[in-house]
Amino acid sequence: MKRISILWIIAFFFFSAVFAEAADNGKYQKAREEMVSKQLKARGIDDPEVLKAMKTVHRHAFVPESLHDRAYADSPLPIGEGQTISQPYIVAMMTATLNLDRADKVLEVGTGSGYQAAVLAKIVDEVYSIEIKEKLHENAAETLESRGYTDVHTRQGDGYFGWPDAAPFDAIMITAAVDHIPPPLLKQLKDGGKLILPLGNPFSYQSLVLVTKRDDDYTVKQITGVLFVPMTGRALEKGEE
Amino acid sequence: MIYWVVFILSASSLAFEVLLARIFSISQWNHLSFMVISLALFGFGASGTFLSLLDAGRPGWEQRFSRRSFLLKLVIFYSVSAVIAFGGLNRLPIDYFRLPLEPIQMLYLLMAYLLLSIPFFFTGMIMSIGFAALPEKTGLVYCASMTGSALGAVLPALGLGTLGEGYMVLSAALIPLLLPLFGDLKRREGVRTALWAIVTFSVLSGGIYYSGLLDDLKWIRPSPYKALSQVLQFPNTEVIETRSGLRGRIDRVQSPYIRFAPGLSLKFTGTLPRQWAVYRDGDRPYVFYTLNPEDEPTFPRFSLPFAGYLLAQDPEAVLIIQEGGGVGVPFALAADASRVTVVEPNPRIADLVRTHYRVPVFHSEGRVFLGRTDRKFDVIQLENWGTSLPGSAALSQEHHFTIEAFTQYLTHLTEAGVLILSRKLMLPPSDSVRMWATAYESLRRMGVEKPADHLALLRSWDTYTLIVTAGPLFQGDVAALRTFAEELNFDPVYFPGIDPKEVNRFNIYDEPFHYQRVQQLLAAYRSNSAEAFFEAQMLDVAPQSDHRPFPGRLVKWSRLDDLYRSLGSRVYTLLMSGEIVVGVVFLEALVVAVLLLVLPIPFVTRGRLMSTPYRFVLYFLGIGAGYMFIEIYFIKSNILLLGDPIISFTVVLSGVLVFSGVGGYLSQYLDLSHLGYALGLLCGMLVMILIGYPVLVDGILGMAPFFRYAVAYIVLLPVGVLMGLPFALGMRFLLVSPVQRAYAWAANGCASVLTSIAAAQVALSIGIPAVMICALAGYLLALVSIYRPAGAKNAYS
Repeated sequence: MKRISILWIIAFFFFSAVFAEAADNGKYQKAREEMVSKQLKARGIDDPEVLKAMKTVHRHAFVPESLHDRAYADSPLPIGEGQTISQPYIVAMMTATLNLDRADKVLEVGTGSGYQAAVLAKIVDEVYSIEIKEKLHENAAETLESRGYTDVHTRQGDGYFGWPDAAPFDAIMITAAVDHIPPPLLKQLKDGGKLILPLGNPFSYQSLVLVTKRDDDYTVKQITGVLFVPMTGRALEKGEE
Repeated sequence: MIYWVVFILSASSLAFEVLLARIFSISQWNHLSFMVISLALFGFGASGTFLSLLDAGRPGWEQRFSRRSFLLKLVIFYSVSAVIAFGGLNRLPIDYFRLPLEPIQMLYLLMAYLLLSIPFFFTGMIMSIGFAALPEKTGLVYCASMTGSALGAVLPALGLGTLGEGYMVLSAALIPLLLPLFGDLKRREGVRTALWAIVTFSVLSGGIYYSGLLDDLKWIRPSPYKALSQVLQFPNTEVIETRSGLRGRIDRVQSPYIRFAPGLSLKFTGTLPRQWAVYRDGDRPYVFYTLNPEDEPTFPRFSLPFAGYLLAQDPEAVLIIQEGGGVGVPFALAADASRVTVVEPNPRIADLVRTHYRVPVFHSEGRVFLGRTDRKFDVIQLENWGTSLPGSAALSQEHHFTIEAFTQYLTHLTEAGVLILSRKLMLPPSDSVRMWATAYESLRRMGVEKPADHLALLRSWDTYTLIVTAGPLFQGDVAALRTFAEELNFDPVYFPGIDPKEVNRFNIYDEPFHYQRVQQLLAAYRSNSAEAFFEAQMLDVAPQSDHRPFPGRLVKWSRLDDLYRSLGSRVYTLLMSGEIVVGVVFLEALVVAVLLLVLPIPFVTRGRLMSTPYRFVLYFLGIGAGYMFIEIYFIKSNILLLGDPIISFTVVLSGVLVFSGVGGYLSQYLDLSHLGYALGLLCGMLVMILIGYPVLVDGILGMAPFFRYAVAYIVLLPVGVLMGLPFALGMRFLLVSPVQRAYAWAANGCASVLTSIAAAQVALSIGIPAVMICALAGYLLALVSIYRPAGAKNAYS
């Protein structure tokens, strides 16, 4: 009897999630498809796994209800408490830059809305995400759980020290503002592992910083074109007149 | 009675305005406060327009409205509207960052404008009534208004420390309610008005208490996007001390999660010392490191700014000129400096640094400190990390990064001395290029033959460090920098003999943008085509001078389309720039001003406005604009002299207003024949100030504070008195009816608001002296508008 009850509960949540997805899909699917084609593909994102994830994850579920209609716009969105959800292009670009495999283990520092973790969970099997702010952690964990992202391990804590119990990681993503890269995080990267973070203000990132670890040495690649499109074409010609 | 009402309401509304600006600078962003307060001030102009319209239907209003009981009712309306406006504003969920996304935010913003403009409307109305009802005593009404405003300018300075921002603004709003208690209590009407005031005060107090506003005002909550709000969301984090003052609110925060180490190498594997921080107006943290006296901190040696200390081994004397940050003192201690001197502009932070690190700290502005000392230093470290968002500090006037400032630093270095400056690295290369150019230009003007031989620039993944040496860099110096960079994975951007292969190795861009830009600039300097280089840049990266000290200003209006495209054609990124917001606000203000001035014309021209009104409208527009341009010129010029923008604001406002009040009073003894002379004399004086004041400021910068303050007031005295004459004389002699006076008051108010916004842009684009030239133009316009050709009919007889 107990087993049947559990099965009923599981079935209930499963079908609720399925119906919720179906309802969402009807309303926002077109917006998601447009987002992928006009904001991502048009700007050179071509990783099929990333595009598929971006097309699948319901971004509007991670923003306040008042902003649902703007959820797929080409801009970051304020989500309350002074927090933001990154522009879709930034999320896709950061994910694509890590060049992830299904078997990779990824740590995200700064869960925020939970959207980035959800996108990662569509691409890799194991996602660990830490958020220091209690309210944000609770909201994100609830959203992720209600949307069925069971592969995302979340906890409230100090991301500066990473997640030693789950280390080492193939990739680490820092989505919170930092003025230096925490040494403990670099230690928790596998050899050949990659760490990525955006540089600048959440409303207007300048570039992405990709750190690659090789035998305790690090190279940092600055990926431009995130905000600043280096002067080319007519603008450059005009500048040199 | 009317003089007292004008005096008290002027004091209250100016204090209200200053305190609102203070509160906005904590609870919101400067852009928004600039926008809301500027437009709210249109309440003054709106009152004139309202009375002009009223005149069309109910002439004779000035006599009815100037009755004591009516004036006191207006005072009650003022207090009620000020409290409601402030309380409402406090509850409006305005979010600047949601503005482009949520249409309802526009409604909130509109409500904020309207709410805030109402108290100013009532103040303006009382003044307008005063001018209209007592035309023969305009000078006295004007004197009461100006001296009251002067009191309002200094009141916040006196009360903020004790009451804090929230309670102080409530006090400013409620104090006018005392006026009815001093009315004519022998008459029934006087008693009734006094009772109304008591009842109003009681109801407002009850409302404030029960609505929870009182609690909200104990500690003004910063914008959730500000650093303090962010850190307070961390567990075990609390504000342990708050101090309010005219220079800003300081919150001292204890948290295990504060970790500040900009420019730290990825090679650093140690642990950072424990830290705590203070925040100014909820942002701009200054971090304190808990250092172990037995153990020298290691992290500085792994940080980019330490490159400067490699060229000044075991320095004897180190000077740290700081504005935020906090790594300066640990760096100097790690370099085994024998004597460390800190210069900190904020008195509270200066106290804390002195107590925490036990080093001599001077509470002063860096340039003023250097102006007062002949001491030489082995290292001068400028700690000011700047902004991470290009354009967001566009409006900030900073004299630390001008050519003159660099010259001052370099003349205070020993022969082997080093100047170190570290800031956020920006893309496109802008701030770093500007600072390199400023140092180069300064060295060149000092007669250094090869300025580039004194410069080194290095970068990490998000910061850069500029090193300027008093003597040329030797091969050994360059080798030391090269090794440091290589070992800690930093990249050189420039030093003599730099190899293009070494500029993009560890922090790799698609191209070495910063290196390329500095090389282009160097080539331009060598071929005497630096101006052409700066002209060709998409951003304004030219070195700044004390005449145009806006190092954060990068936008070129002529290249806005290129900038927009280089930012990926995303509109919201442009709105991050303060300068663009100023442009938008000016357009909004222009629309409001046109509505306020044009709207009443069909009504008031029905026989009541003068037959040749445009000359006089121009006259009042001209003197309104001129007055505001002069005020802003002095506020901007005195920031360097007095060392602080808020102090400069208070000194200039109090001085100009009091002296203008004296001018208004003296106008009672003058007649129309003196108006032209007064304007001519004022214009002559403005020319003298334009030429002589920058020289005077430069000459007395190193003098004692008392002397500098005295000079500031002495210069303001004759100008202020002359500024007080044209309005009072114009109101009295040029205009003939109450409606004309009300309309002139509206024109004057609109000109003041538009000018205050335009002056910011003029200073940014052309320079501070250009603000004075605009003032001159305003008064010349007024002079021309009253000129009567020989034989012409007297227009105002």
